[in-house]
Amino acid sequence: MQDRKIRILQILVVPVAAVLVAAMFGTRARAAGKAGYTVEELSPSMSYEEYEKRYKEYYGDATARMAEEGNPADFLLDDGRDLANKVEGSKGKSCASCHGRDAMKLKGAATHFPRYDAAIKGIMTFPMQINACRVQAMGAKPLKYESYDQLALTLYIKSLSNGMPIQVSIDGPARPFYEEGRRAYYKRQGQLNFSCAICHIQYAGYKARSNLISNNKHHTDHWPSYRLKWGKTGSLQRRFRGCLKNMRAKVPPYQDEELRNIEFYLTYSNNGDLIQVPGMRM
Amino acid sequence: MPAIGKIKIRLPRNIRKGQVIAVKTLIMHPMETGFRTDKKTKKKVPAYYINDVSVYYGDTLVNHSDWTIAVSANPFMTFYLKADKAAPLKIVWKDIKGGVYEKTVQVTPR
Repeated sequence: MQDRKIRILQILVVPVAAVLVAAMFGTRARAAGKAGYTVEELSPSMSYEEYEKRYKEYYGDATARMAEEGNPADFLLDDGRDLANKVEGSKGKSCASCHGRDAMKLKGAATHFPRYDAAIKGIMTFPMQINACRVQAMGAKPLKYESYDQLALTLYIKSLSNGMPIQVSIDGPARPFYEEGRRAYYKRQGQLNFSCAICHIQYAGYKARSNLISNNKHHTDHWPSYRLKWGKTGSLQRRFRGCLKNMRAKVPPYQDEELRNIEFYLTYSNNGDLIQVPGMRM
Repeated sequence: MPAIGKIKIRLPRNIRKGQVIAVKTLIMHPMETGFRTDKKTKKKVPAYYINDVSVYYGDTLVNHSDWTIAVSANPFMTFYLKADKAAPLKIVWKDIKGGVYEKTVQVTPR
C-alpha cells in the first residue's frame, strides 16, 4: 500500500517538476533575449555634407518647389481647423472650448511629443493624445488612426507649432522606452535581415535600386506629410510600416508599442529640427 | 470623408495691367485610370478621371484642355494669362461621372 502511494506520487511529481524546470528556463531564456540584446554600433559611411551634395545632385529641389506651388495636404489644414471648432461628444465641448478659438493655445504643444505618459505607462504620441483628449474631456468617440479626420486634426494642431524646434525629453521614466526604441531601430529583422539603422545610418547616401537612401536627420519634422507615391497624406507610422513591409518583416498595427518606441527614439535624435508641416515627399 | 473637388487657385499678389501672369491651380481628385486592381476584392477599380478643363476670363473661353488617364492624381495645372481687364476668372473641371467642379477668382490689374 505504502509502495503504491509513493509510486503514484512519483508519477505525479516527476512531470510537474519537469514542467516547472522548463518554465523557469523558458522565462530565463526569454528575459536574456530581451535584455541581453547587444546593439550593433553603426556609423555613417559619409559626412552629412557629402550626403546632402549627393541628395541635391540626384533629386534637386523638385519636391520643395512642388510644395511651394501647392501642397495637396493644405486642404486638410482647413478641414482640421473646422474640426477643432466642431462640438462633439456627450459633454458638449470642442477643442476650442478649452484651448481657445481655433485651438490657438496649443501653439508649441506638438514640440514635446512623443512623450512619456504615466497613465498608459508608455509613450504617448500626438494622435494618441488627441484621442485621449476627445474621450476624457469631450466624451466623444476616438478617431480612427490614418482616417481623413484624424489626419486633418493632427495636421492642423501640429501646424500651429510650425517653425519651432522639436524638444523631446528622455529624462526619468522615459529612458527605458528610448533604449527600447533604439534597440528596435538597430534590430535586424525580416527575411532580408535589415535593420532601420543599416540603411538610414550606415548606407545613407547610397542607392537602393533607383532611390537614394535618406539620412535620418530631418526624418520626423514634417509629418503628417503628402507623399507622391501614396497620392495621399499619411503619418510617420504609415511610412514606418511601409519600410517594414519592404524589409519583409512583421508589420505591427498603428500605434503599436514598437512603432511608438521607434518614433520616440527617432524624434529625440531629431531634437532641434524646426517643425514644418505639412511636408511633401517623393 | 474623401476630399474630391476641393480647389485652390493662386494668383500673383500685385498685377499690372497687360502683365502676363502665371495662374496656378490645384484640385483634389483620385484620377482612377480603370486599370488598377483593388487588392482586397481582386476587382478592377472603375475609371474615374477629369477629362475636360476650361478657363473663362470674363465671358471668353481662354484655355481649354482635354485630359486623359495619364494625368496624375490631385492634378496641378499652371497656365499663363495676359491680364488686360478687370474680370472674373472662372475655371471649370468636369469628370467622366458627371461631376462639375468650378471656382471663380477676381483678377484686378492696377
